Amino acid sequence: MAVSPLVAPTSDAAQPSQFARPTSSPFKRQASAVPSSNGNGTPRYPPHARPPAPDAAAVALDPIEQLNEDEKRKYVKGKKLGEGTYANVYLGHVRHDPATLVAIKKIKVQQQYLDGMAPDAVRELKYLRELCHPNIISLLSVFSSKDQNLNLVLEYLPLGDLEMLIRDVDRVRYGAGDIKAWMGMLARAVWFCHDNHVLHRDIKPNNLLIAADGDVKLADFGLARSFADPGRRMTANVITRWYRPPELLFGARHYGGAVDVWSVGMVFAELIIRAPFLAGNTEVEQIALICKQIGTPTEDCWPGVSQLREYTVPADVVPVWGKEAYMGRFGAVGPDGVDLLVRTVALDPKKRITAREMLEHRWWRTDPKPTRKEDLPRKSAGGEEKMGADLKRRNGTVDSDSNNRGAKVARKLDFGQAK
Amino acid sequence: MSRRAPPGARTGAAGSGSTSSSALAAINTEDMCPVCKTIRYLNKDMEFLINPECYHSMCSNCVNRLFNDGPNQCPYAGCHRTLRRKGFRSAFFGDLAVEREVDIRRRVAAVFNQAEDDFETLRDYNNYLQMVEDLTFDLVSGTDAQRRAAEATLQQWEAEHKADIERNRKAGREADEQSRRRLAAEREAARLRRIEALREAEEEKRERARSREEELDSLAHGEAGAAGGAQRVQLKKRGQAVASRAVEAAVKTDVAAADVGRLSIRGLKEKKKAPPPEGPYDPFGGLDFVPSRYKLRPELTHPGIEKYKVDPAHITGGYNFDEYTARAMFEAFAGLGVFIEDEKEVGIGLSAGDVATMSAGIAAVGDNKMELA
Repeated sequence: MAVSPLVAPTSDAAQPSQFARPTSSPFKRQASAVPSSNGNGTPRYPPHARPPAPDAAAVALDPIEQLNEDEKRKYVKGKKLGEGTYANVYLGHVRHDPATLVAIKKIKVQQQYLDGMAPDAVRELKYLRELCHPNIISLLSVFSSKDQNLNLVLEYLPLGDLEMLIRDVDRVRYGAGDIKAWMGMLARAVWFCHDNHVLHRDIKPNNLLIAADGDVKLADFGLARSFADPGRRMTANVITRWYRPPELLFGARHYGGAVDVWSVGMVFAELIIRAPFLAGNTEVEQIALICKQIGTPTEDCWPGVSQLREYTVPADVVPVWGKEAYMGRFGAVGPDGVDLLVRTVALDPKKRITAREMLEHRWWRTDPKPTRKEDLPRKSAGGEEKMGADLKRRNGTVDSDSNNRGAKVARKLDFGQAK
Repeated sequence: MSRRAPPGARTGAAGSGSTSSSALAAINTEDMCPVCKTIRYLNKDMEFLINPECYHSMCSNCVNRLFNDGPNQCPYAGCHRTLRRKGFRSAFFGDLAVEREVDIRRRVAAVFNQAEDDFETLRDYNNYLQMVEDLTFDLVSGTDAQRRAAEATLQQWEAEHKADIERNRKAGREADEQSRRRLAAEREAARLRRIEALREAEEEKRERARSREEELDSLAHGEAGAAGGAQRVQLKKRGQAVASRAVEAAVKTDVAAADVGRLSIRGLKEKKKAPPPEGPYDPFGGLDFVPSRYKLRPELTHPGIEKYKVDPAHITGGYNFDEYTARAMFEAFAGLGVFIEDEKEVGIGLSAGDVATMSAGIAAVGDNKMELA
């Protein structure tokens, strides 16, 4: 029995903190990747330190191990829902109440990061623990099992993801009201993240899981980070390519919430046309598609864009399309919906609508009303496997080309599975 | 109540005993009346009876002999129960422990006969079943005290819920009746189908014989074989049509039979509540993060970030300085108005059981958090 690198809060005072977190700032406990139990002075091994050898065979567990053990015992791990390179996902339930199902995401020990935790796991943990919102997947608990495996206990979302619904053209029909309801939940989740200073950086239909009651929940925070301070550079290598905004494609290192908003716009477009809006196979192709479908980013419409490190656009400049150009293809959501779409896909991130402004948009108040979440279309079959597949995936894109091709193939397989 | 291994028990005692006495043991345990010591060799028709008072078994001769003149004490040594002739019956199970358990279960089930529909949630129902099972277990294999307690509970419940029990019994009987009727209907349908099938087969056979004869005839008359072939094809077709008609009819009767069963309205719950009136759609979902302790002004700045504000990399990439100032302000004020002691008190009230209601609570708590900030 090795000492856990994790201190999962348990029982009494520590207990509520994981659900209701009335403590001041979400960044209070950010310094350590591992949330400690309310700073009650429990000693903690830094995440990178190897635990002492398990010699004493846990005759007497030290308090941390005990906490971890208690937390582990709260859940019963059931059948495997999916296996991936990054994590295995199991169905589980709360020990004292078998009716409360959970998904347990067991993160595999990765060869690259033997001396600590994989950064995506840390990110996921760090931000999911801080964010509590009906439209964000909730992290119920964290514990480590044998061999230092990290286990994230997530809420169980049995109805698959948005991608499944978008792809199943034959069997799933939805209308403007349904799109509005889904977009409302997505926009709310993104707004909540941004107002709590978290960038998600991997928004796509795949990561929008659907709860039993129809709620859309934003999942997969493996690429999330908090807003950087001025002067701190962030990687431009985030967000799945089809949903990546032009500033990231051009290699900007200082960006803001606008990157997520672009992704939301892409999801919005995808919901309407039921196919990925801009599906480029390479980054160059992606830029070309953006230029063609939305307009070429030039100094006129986006001052300073040509100074970005990787700024390259096709030679023939396409003027930025106006609202009318979108009406034909996206008219299903009405002129107000198209207006919102156009604002979310503004090329210049400064001119792009913010998450808060999205929610203040008049589209939400015009007819048709957003469908109530109980009445939203859903697919009953295959959701379980889908959640397994969604959670086990390595987060976002890691961008060597070969990797991308792999990701694409997996994607294709997913479609087959969903049908 | 102390019970010996009953004579009928096939507990394997005979097999597991020493080999020399195994034959004798078999006779002893299986075929000797423990009261009059008669063995089956002497009385071929010996029948063992038990009385559910104490489950001591004895042969029918002994029962007649001892209890014909009214109630008498159990002849087993140490068993002082008064038994009546009427109570004796032959055991259904060889193992009398099983017999007794089944009797007890039957009795308990007659009293605790609530159905799942009577409960609000599945959980309640399960709890109820658990309670009943505990009670049954106490009755079957509890200590004396436990048994008495369980017995008392049972009787009390029976007395208190007489009407309910009666109603449930009736409902149960009705359900039984329904299923019995349905079964009967199904069986009847199956019988008809079988008869029909037999008739069909017969018909076909005759048909085949006739066609063959015709064929032979035609051959004899030297006609072309084509006509006969055509006719045969036609005949076959007709046979198929008949068969398909029969299948259809069978399906129909099946459906009808199922309808008989479906007539019951038991378990039909009319629980339609009027949906709560819907307010206007709130895109924010009832949350509001406007800070209450300070105001964010757009021109808010800090000397440390001035130089970045003019940095083209920041401007072009869409870095949002308002987001930064909002966060800086938030963090500056974050700890104010938070009293750890208060939170601890609140915290104790929350238990792991609240997981289920968590999502409902999140919004409220999230709100709270931001207000405190």
